[in-house]
Amino acid sequence: MLEIKDLHASVEGNEILKGISLSIKKGEIHAVMGPNGSGKSTLAKILSGHPSYEPTGGEILLEGKNLFDMDAEERSLSGIFMGFQYPVEVPGVNNAEFLRMAFNARRVCAGEEEMDPLDFDELLSEKMKMLKMENKYKERSLNDGFSGGEKKKNEILQMAILEPKLAILDETDSGLDIDALRIVAEGVNSLRNENNALILITHYQRLLDYIKPDFVHVMHNGLIVKSGDKALAHELEAQGYDWVTAEN
Amino acid sequence: MSDTLVESSAESAFLDLHKKLLEQGRPALVELQEAALNRFELLGFPHSKHEMYTFVNIKGLVATSFSLPDGGVNVSEDFVAGHIYPDCERQCLVFVDGVFNRGLSRFEGVSANLVSLSEADQELKDYLSKTAENENDVFAALSTAFCSEGLVFKVDDNTQISGTVQVLFVSTGRSVGPAMHAPRLVWQLGKLAEVKVIEKFVGTEGGYFINSVQDWLLAEGAGVSFTQVQVDSFDSWHFSKTRVHLNRNARFYSSNASSGTQLARHHYEVWLKEEGSELRLNGVSVLDGKEQVHNFIRIHHEAPQCISHQHFKNVVNGHARSSFDGTVIVNEGAQLTNSDQLINNLMLSNDCHANNKPNLMIFADDVKCTHGVTIGQIDEDQWFYLQTRGLSAKSSKELLTRSFAQSIIQTIEFPEVVEELNGTLLKKLEATNV
Repeated sequence: MLEIKDLHASVEGNEILKGISLSIKKGEIHAVMGPNGSGKSTLAKILSGHPSYEPTGGEILLEGKNLFDMDAEERSLSGIFMGFQYPVEVPGVNNAEFLRMAFNARRVCAGEEEMDPLDFDELLSEKMKMLKMENKYKERSLNDGFSGGEKKKNEILQMAILEPKLAILDETDSGLDIDALRIVAEGVNSLRNENNALILITHYQRLLDYIKPDFVHVMHNGLIVKSGDKALAHELEAQGYDWVTAEN
Repeated sequence: MSDTLVESSAESAFLDLHKKLLEQGRPALVELQEAALNRFELLGFPHSKHEMYTFVNIKGLVATSFSLPDGGVNVSEDFVAGHIYPDCERQCLVFVDGVFNRGLSRFEGVSANLVSLSEADQELKDYLSKTAENENDVFAALSTAFCSEGLVFKVDDNTQISGTVQVLFVSTGRSVGPAMHAPRLVWQLGKLAEVKVIEKFVGTEGGYFINSVQDWLLAEGAGVSFTQVQVDSFDSWHFSKTRVHLNRNARFYSSNASSGTQLARHHYEVWLKEEGSELRLNGVSVLDGKEQVHNFIRIHHEAPQCISHQHFKNVVNGHARSSFDGTVIVNEGAQLTNSDQLINNLMLSNDCHANNKPNLMIFADDVKCTHGVTIGQIDEDQWFYLQTRGLSAKSSKELLTRSFAQSIIQTIEFPEVVEELNGTLLKKLEATNV
C-alpha cells in the first residue's frame, strides 16, 4: 500500500530524515519508535504533506501514486489520515459541521452523493458512543478548549468518520490517562480491517499493549536503525533506547 | 479648538447650508441647533493629525458641497418592508433622510412611548443643551445643528417593551448633489425598564452623508440589548455618535455589524456612573475594496464594581482599512472595575490596513483591566489541519475566515439578524476570493 524509498527530508535547511525506507501492506500495523528528535514526527509530517517539511530525496508511493505530486487535501482524499500529536484548535468552527464537511468532501471525491445532516448526525452519534464521547462535543468548536485527552479522542473520532486506508497516529497516546488510552485503543482496533493499515508513532511501549503491531521500527538520527516484531518494543522498554542508539 | 483644520471654507460651507435650513422655516429645535452650531464653529473640522482623527481621512468629506435633504422623498413601502425584520413588523420606526417618517413606521404598540424631541420635558431639554454645549465631537455637533425633528423613546419604570423595536434609517441620496442626513434619537429608560432594539442603516442610492446622534439614558437596573447593522452603499459617509449613561446596576449590551463605506466612523462614549453597571460592546466588520470602518470609543468608569467588555473583529481585504481608537478611563474611586478590550484583525491581502490604538487610563488601584490587539493572517497551522481532512485550500481558508467573523455574529441575540449577516457579510467574503 505504501512504499517509502530512501526518503530524505529537511526543515529550514537542516536534514532531518537521512534515508528512510519502509514498506507497508494492507492490514498491517507498523509502530515507529525512537527517542526525542530522532525524526519520527518529521516522517509523519512529510507523509501528511506539511508545507514546511521539504522532501529532498527518495520517493513515497501510495498504491503506486507518487505522494509528492499531491497536496495535503489530495492525500487526505486518497485515504491518508494524520492523527496530530498536537491537534490544532480552531475556534468558531463547529466540530460536527466540520466533520460533516470533511466526510462529504471524501464522498464527493469518490463520486457519491453528500450525506444529509440528519443521517450524518446518526453516524456521528454512533462513532462518538464508541469513543465514549459526550454529545456536547458536537456543538463545541473544533478542539477549542479541549483537554489534551479530549483532543486525541477527537482525532480518533475523525479517523472513525473518514475511515482512511492508511492512518498515521503521531504520539496519540501522549497526554492520555490509562482509561482514555484504553478507549482510544479500542476505537482504533475496531476500525482495523484487512484493507487498511496503520502507522503508530510513539515514544512509549505502553500503547502497544493495546494496539498490537506487526512490525516495530526504531528511529535514530533520521534513520531506521532496527526493525523487528512486537518483542522489540518490550526489549526497548526493558533496556531503553540507549541499547539501540549506542549500536549506531 | 486651536488645532483645527483646514480651510475655513469647509466650515463656512456648512454654516451657509445651515442658513438655508433656517430659510425653510423656524425649526422646532432652534435653540438646541444654535447651541450645537456654536459648538461646531468653536471646534472646527479637525486637522489630519488631530488625535480623534488620526486614522480617518476626512478631507474628501469636508470638501464635499452638501445640500439639504429634499424632504418628501418617496420611499416605497416595499423597500421598507424588505428591511424590516420578521418580529419587528408591528413596532418599527422609519427615518427617511434623517427625518422620522410616521407614514412608513408602525408603532401602535409603542405610540405611548414616543415623544417628539421638541416636546421633551425640561429635564431632558436641559440635558440636551448641556450636551450640545460640551460636545467634543465636531461631527456630532454638526448633526445636532442640522437635526430637524428628533425622537424620544421613553420606557417607564418597571416596564419591559415586549418584542423587539426596530429603527430603520433609509437614506435616499436623491437630492441635488449629496445631502447630509442628521437623525436624532434619545432613549430614556426608567428604573428596571427593558428594551430590545435593532437598528439598520440602508441607502436606496449612494452619495449621502448620514450623521446620526443617539443618547441612551438608563436609570437604575434598566437593561438594553442593542444591535446595529450598517449596510450603507460604498459611496456614502456614515458617521454616528452613541452616548450611553448607565446608572446603578444598569446593563447595556451592544453589537455592531458593519459592511463599511468609503468612510464609516462609529463614536461611542459611555459613562458607567453608578455601582454595578455593565457594558458590553461588540463589533464585527467585513471590508473589501477601499472601504473603511473606524471605531472611536471612550468608556468612563466612574463608580466601583462596574464591568465593561469590548470585543471587535475585523476582516480586511483588498485596499480596505479598519481602524480603532479606544480608551477606557478608570476614575479615582472606581475600585473593583473589571474591564477588557480586545481587537482582532484578520488581514486577507497585502494592501489592506489595520490601525489600532487601544488605551487604558487607570486612576484607581484595585482594578482588573486588560486590553489587546491582534493583527494577523490566516493561521497556517489551522489552515493545514483542515486540509489534512480533505478540505481544499480555498474552502479551508473560507471556513477559517467565516469562523473568525462568526464568533462575534453569534453573540447577537436576534436570530433573524444573525441569519441576515450570514447571508450578507459572510457572502461578501465568498465573493472576495479569499
